[in-house]
Amino acid sequence: MKLLITLSLRNLFRQKRRNILLGIAIALGVTILVLANSFSQGISDIMFNKIMRWVTGQVTVRFNEKGRMNREIFRDKERVMALIKNTPGVLEADEGAGMFCRAIGNGKSDNIIIVGVNTSLEITEETKKELEDSFRLIEGGWKDLENPAINNPVIVSEEKARFLNVKKGDVIRVRFRNMFGQDQAARLTVSGIMKNDNIFMQPVVFLELRNAKLIFGYKPYETASLTLKVKDAVKNSAAIADSIHAKLKPGVAVIHALTARGDKSSVADVLGYRSDEESKKKLSALLKIKSGSVEAALKKDGVVIFNTLAGALKVKAGDEIKIGFARKFEETPAEKYLKVSAVAADNPELKGNVILVNDEKFYDIYYENLPKPAPEAFIPDKDGSWAGLVSPEWILLERTANTEEAKKKYIALGKKKWKGTTIDVSTMYETASDIMKLEGVLKLITLSAVMVLFFIILLGVVNTLRMTIRERTREIGTIRAIGMQKNDVRHIFILETFFLTLFASIAGIAAAYISMWLLSQITFKMSDNPMGMLLVNGHLYFLPTFTGIAGNVALIILIAVVTAYFPSRRAANLSPAKALGHFE
Amino acid sequence: MCLNKLITAALINILFASALFAESRIAPILNSIDEIYKIKTDARADVMLTQQKPEQGTKVIKMIYYRRDSDDSFLIVMSEPENEKGNGYLRVGDNFWMYRKNTRTFQHINRDENIGGSDARSDDFETRKLSELYGPALGPDGKEIFSQEMLGQVPVNRFEVKALVNDVDYPKKIYWARRDNNLILKEESYSLSGTLMQTAYFLKYSIIDGRYLAVKHLYIDEFEKGNKTVVDISNVSTAKLENSIFTKAYLENLSK
Repeated sequence: MKLLITLSLRNLFRQKRRNILLGIAIALGVTILVLANSFSQGISDIMFNKIMRWVTGQVTVRFNEKGRMNREIFRDKERVMALIKNTPGVLEADEGAGMFCRAIGNGKSDNIIIVGVNTSLEITEETKKELEDSFRLIEGGWKDLENPAINNPVIVSEEKARFLNVKKGDVIRVRFRNMFGQDQAARLTVSGIMKNDNIFMQPVVFLELRNAKLIFGYKPYETASLTLKVKDAVKNSAAIADSIHAKLKPGVAVIHALTARGDKSSVADVLGYRSDEESKKKLSALLKIKSGSVEAALKKDGVVIFNTLAGALKVKAGDEIKIGFARKFEETPAEKYLKVSAVAADNPELKGNVILVNDEKFYDIYYENLPKPAPEAFIPDKDGSWAGLVSPEWILLERTANTEEAKKKYIALGKKKWKGTTIDVSTMYETASDIMKLEGVLKLITLSAVMVLFFIILLGVVNTLRMTIRERTREIGTIRAIGMQKNDVRHIFILETFFLTLFASIAGIAAAYISMWLLSQITFKMSDNPMGMLLVNGHLYFLPTFTGIAGNVALIILIAVVTAYFPSRRAANLSPAKALGHFE
Repeated sequence: MCLNKLITAALINILFASALFAESRIAPILNSIDEIYKIKTDARADVMLTQQKPEQGTKVIKMIYYRRDSDDSFLIVMSEPENEKGNGYLRVGDNFWMYRKNTRTFQHINRDENIGGSDARSDDFETRKLSELYGPALGPDGKEIFSQEMLGQVPVNRFEVKALVNDVDYPKKIYWARRDNNLILKEESYSLSGTLMQTAYFLKYSIIDGRYLAVKHLYIDEFEKGNKTVVDISNVSTAKLENSIFTKAYLENLSK
């Protein structure tokens, strides 16, 4: 084999001019392929790691109360945070809070997005560098956001500051509708100005998370969403999201309360019942109404109590009862009034004193006054008739694999009219799988174009080999006559093509790197152009990867070798006698 | 032990609240407003919104509004501006659809959605009781914020209310209501942070089936100065409406 390699290399250098020209053509093709692939890989990296990473996190846990898209709130942040933080592979977990606002600067108004940023969160040096690269401060510093002497200090993009006609120290007034739809107004003080080439990130205004939550109307124990940074996101994010999803299976929502009417009181467990049509049918069959009606019991504000409790409190349908219970996060207990819609016969599966409330009304009470966990509270048997009929703590949405499925899920969410809080766990690769598709399409277009180019180049390879074989026919005859086998002759020619393609590819890769470096030195001023999002700090961004380049080179060598195989076989099959007698 | 404390605290609070409610001067006014405003029939009306914004000029939005009393369903069909003409909104029970004439499609939307490019939202057309949404606000002295004054030449009760539920536009409002019949003449709406966001004047009332209906309102945006909206309601009818009106097919046909 060593001899064959030596011979093929020697032959390669025998026809330098011809092979150099052919090599240049192959190198050019490789350069274009590597450049284009690195560019599309760069676009993906910008979209995921420089935009989506900051907007949604690599893995996101979203909460929507009453299934409403605008109502992003979960009332027990620490409970979910505790589950998430212990998940292997999670590097950082933080709250996400953002709101679209109308901003008024000095005589100018525009739309902005206030984003809460947790400056006290311990972040890795890598994250810090990513943050500083993505949002380059030209005035002020991140720590200014924590300054208690300034009223709502914010960092604004250079372009937005220019548009609103504000500078450091100026006040921006904002109005917005918060997650409940309430109008809110606030005054923000510009404490820093940042530069960002991505037009979609220019409306972003950073405000310290605590201040943001305060003006949005969140309590400290509530959150809008949770965003996670995970180890090796491309590889692990889906598995981590699956693991978090599995941990978020809801229990039954129950309020362990004191009920009272007049001077009568009793301890009871208030459960919500599902109000979808199927559940209502099952409830109609299960409830044996003694006072009131099934219709009234299943109405929006339906409240059903059972015979024993009704007897203890001396209530009938139409009467009002009070419930009081300890709250998890507030010191004062909650008190609510419920108008009894129906009294039903005791049910053997519902132990103790149970009050059933339509989930629409139940969740209003439950979420607004999250009850203190009570281990003694009654929960229906999970295998019994009531298990699927009582309201869960939240509704865990199914995991989805891509943007298409996620869209369908959210359309269905709009139609389903969930009364409870929905929880959705997703990765940025799933919610923005279209970006990956775009990258794939770009790569395919590039590959197709380069393949056309290579087809032309390969015609040159075939032609060169034919010429070489013709020129070396007598030489083939000689080496065959002195004992070289057919296979070895074939291998010499194939190896020649292999080495030619390999050297040309190496040169092509080097040329691609030089081209990438040169192209990335050019500064583009595109801050007002959407195409600016394809730039990093005003420069083109390429992300060559070892696997991508190795794959491309392997493909090109394979094609070249396959193309060279047939002329090589013809050369090997020449009869030594005929070859020796060949004369031109 | 903990439960006993809870019972005691709850009962004390409930008793206190009951006593407070009994002495309230605002609560009866809120109940009265609910009573005199509540239309207990089906209704149809032409609604015209004239929006003035300094940067955008004047925009007129016209729509026809149908309301069914039995289940609070409503249908809105846009007739102006031209680009909105034929579009509509239908709400039946928990379902709320937006119809787009150009694409002939219905889309599920939520009640936070703006109607026909105006600042009005679906929940502005819902009939929810004021007394269920708002309760008397208390001053630092623990007393209701209530006074009697003159609004121009009209003697009024001025009182402050705060939201009892989350899903209202404004967490705090101040009303000026006529002393003789509790009709609201002026309303100030405040944001969660206490900033005055909007002042509304109810300029003209009509009596429809023994109930008061404000047929001309003026809304002044106090946050973005210069923005104001005038609402005119006309051709009000309280005749019984066919059930077929509150269907997708009707909206589709009406938009043809």
